[in-house]
Amino acid sequence: MDIGSVLEATILQFIGFNACYYAIAAIGLNVQFGYAGLLNFGQAAFMAAGAYGVGQTAMVFGISLWWGVLIGVGYSVLLGLLMGLPTLRLRADYLAIVTIAAAEIVRLVVRSVWARDSFGGTDGLKGFADAFQKVGRNLGLKPAGEYGFWIFTFSGRNLWILLVGWTLVAIFGTIVWLLMRSPWGRVLKAIREDEDAVRSLGKNVFSYKMQALILGGVIGSFAGMMFALGNANVQPDNYSRDLTFFVLTGLVLGGVAKVTGSIVGPMLFWAIYSFLDNLLRELIDKPVRIGDFTLIQSTDIGAVVYMVMGVLLVLLMVFRPQGLFGNRKEMAFDGR
Amino acid sequence: MSERAGGSISMLAYPDAAGPVQRRARRFAQLLAGLLVVTLGLFGLSATSSADEFGIRVQVKEQRRTDTGKTDNQPVPGVSVTVLDASGAEVGTGVTDAKGAVVIPVPAKADYTIRIDESTLPSGAELDGPAEQQVTGDSFTVATKTVNFFIGESQREETSGVERVSQRIADGVRLGLIIAMCSVGLSLIFGTTGLTNFAHGEMVTFGALVAYFLNSRGMHIVIAAPIAVAAGGLLGLTADRFGFSRFRARGVGLISQMVITLGLSIAAKNFFLWRFGGRDKPYLNYTNQVGVKIGPIVITPRDLIVTILALVVLVAVALTLQYTRLGKATRAVSDNADLASSTGIDSAKIIRIIWIAAGALAALGGVFRGLDEQVAWDMGTSLLFLMFAGITLGGLGSAYGALVGGFVVGLLVETSTLLGVPTELKVVPALLILILILLVRPQGILGRSQRVG
Repeated sequence: MDIGSVLEATILQFIGFNACYYAIAAIGLNVQFGYAGLLNFGQAAFMAAGAYGVGQTAMVFGISLWWGVLIGVGYSVLLGLLMGLPTLRLRADYLAIVTIAAAEIVRLVVRSVWARDSFGGTDGLKGFADAFQKVGRNLGLKPAGEYGFWIFTFSGRNLWILLVGWTLVAIFGTIVWLLMRSPWGRVLKAIREDEDAVRSLGKNVFSYKMQALILGGVIGSFAGMMFALGNANVQPDNYSRDLTFFVLTGLVLGGVAKVTGSIVGPMLFWAIYSFLDNLLRELIDKPVRIGDFTLIQSTDIGAVVYMVMGVLLVLLMVFRPQGLFGNRKEMAFDGR
Repeated sequence: MSERAGGSISMLAYPDAAGPVQRRARRFAQLLAGLLVVTLGLFGLSATSSADEFGIRVQVKEQRRTDTGKTDNQPVPGVSVTVLDASGAEVGTGVTDAKGAVVIPVPAKADYTIRIDESTLPSGAELDGPAEQQVTGDSFTVATKTVNFFIGESQREETSGVERVSQRIADGVRLGLIIAMCSVGLSLIFGTTGLTNFAHGEMVTFGALVAYFLNSRGMHIVIAAPIAVAAGGLLGLTADRFGFSRFRARGVGLISQMVITLGLSIAAKNFFLWRFGGRDKPYLNYTNQVGVKIGPIVITPRDLIVTILALVVLVAVALTLQYTRLGKATRAVSDNADLASSTGIDSAKIIRIIWIAAGALAALGGVFRGLDEQVAWDMGTSLLFLMFAGITLGGLGSAYGALVGGFVVGLLVETSTLLGVPTELKVVPALLILILILLVRPQGILGRSQRVG
């Protein structure tokens, strides 16, 4: 068994592209779930909004890629309004159900033959990312060149994606950190703790919640844009409800209501995922059998690793709901 | 493996086990480890059976009609057919035989494009519809997916409108009854404890899979189904006894509990995928039945019996809730747990019974769904959205609301195609209704307004 290569893959995933766009999505989700106490279980839909925004530029509208950023943000604002209007006046769990249902509607519509001309059906969209890579090339990064040192060697193409991605993480992390220290952020946290008390102070709770939902959604749409640009395509089935849940697992792992938690959590999530996945792949090169009972074979590894990640989420919530960096007091909010 | 997993679950159940409690904790850990071994064995063995290949059966027909108005479609041989995968690469080609059909093997249940070469059609014939059709991965309800192409005059409008409508209504009634059955428990758990259980869909799958395992080992489905229902009840009991009753006692917040159910849902779903595999499989009994014509609808005896049984069970549930002491106590706890406790009702016991009933009903719903469609590792997950739509429509937390709402949602899903909704989007109207209901009448049809906000 080659433990070196397992560790190498783990370290690379810790700072890799997956961790990067998960971190952006988690920063957004943290604004809603961590600071405002809004149960957005449809972050995948906001990510899809961003991804399809940039994706549609080339194949559907035939306009410059950079308009896609605006389109993606527009879609996510619209989505936030649609999800928030019916539910933000109601109890918290209604939002959970509506967001999860809205995310499913979005996924079904974008993958349908019916809306194929706008969203590309199950084939998704591609051919839009060249303008993005061109900026990297203009800055002197050769797409096929090798950059870095030791195990941290990336092609110019991937290095450019990572640089832009982690810069976005830093920007959004800073914005959210500053916002939550501002009066606006304090009101938001107060709403999470006691909505009625804030209302009695004359604040428009509905409006604050809506702003938080949309801000988190817009940040989430940037995660989707990054995901689309990094893969140079948009695939509808990537934006399933499991995506939301794994972003949430990452966030809970790092610690809810902490910016550091929302960034380090997804990094750890992918490190753990990659470690387990690569370790099992090293260990199970042929099916493990007891008699004629096949316990596990290499095609099962994906499911087994995701199963473990689900158990991890349960154990975290039971034993350490505040995650690595969180404050237990900030987890005390409740649904009723 | 089982030892370790059992250990971790017992830790979960006893986060603060200490002193005298420890012996009991160990006993429960052993019980759980035993349960886990049984479950593992169960699903493990079932995964080894059956190894079917996937294929796409393409049929080309010329639409014709006899003088009496009956359909008399003729096969069109010699048409070239190409199957492409999602990336546009060619998977296989073939030419239709004398029956106008060709089966092209495909590697997996995935999305494909089927294209027919129009130049190979009989001279003068024109396709009714496009020369390309899409097949999505989840439309493979059986291993071989059939795709039809027609040439000649479209005959579709001439099929009886009444028949089409009543056929869809019959399907809708069946789906509605199954959704109602699955969602009563979900709604009652919400009503009594405030918990939105995102893992409820997996309880449905669990029942279907237990029955599938027993069935594939040679047990008739009629015997396997009650055992699956009992297993579902046991699962509900376990979830409350070792999980949620403890979380309530420890004062774990509802949101945290909700996230826990998300984790359980991910874990269970992937466990099913691991042990059962990604392919849909039918139960061994009552397959390939010939439909019976009853009035304007054609229904197989199996589907008819499923419909009747589901109706009987739901009426029994409603009568129990309405007239028995247990049912009255359940509704009392659901209305106001504190008030119910102060009148001498043992809320904790009622909640446990609700969990058991929820697990059993979900399992039965799963078996019925498995008979109606097929058994799949994610069958419950896809029903969960419809269950949510149903209980929101009927009023969150209300038992009768769940019955009515679930039924309406099922009916709506199956009949929405009549109103021009594409089949692939047939669940969308139900989900939109969910959002609209929250906008205009958040308490649902039968809910009471003070429950909300």
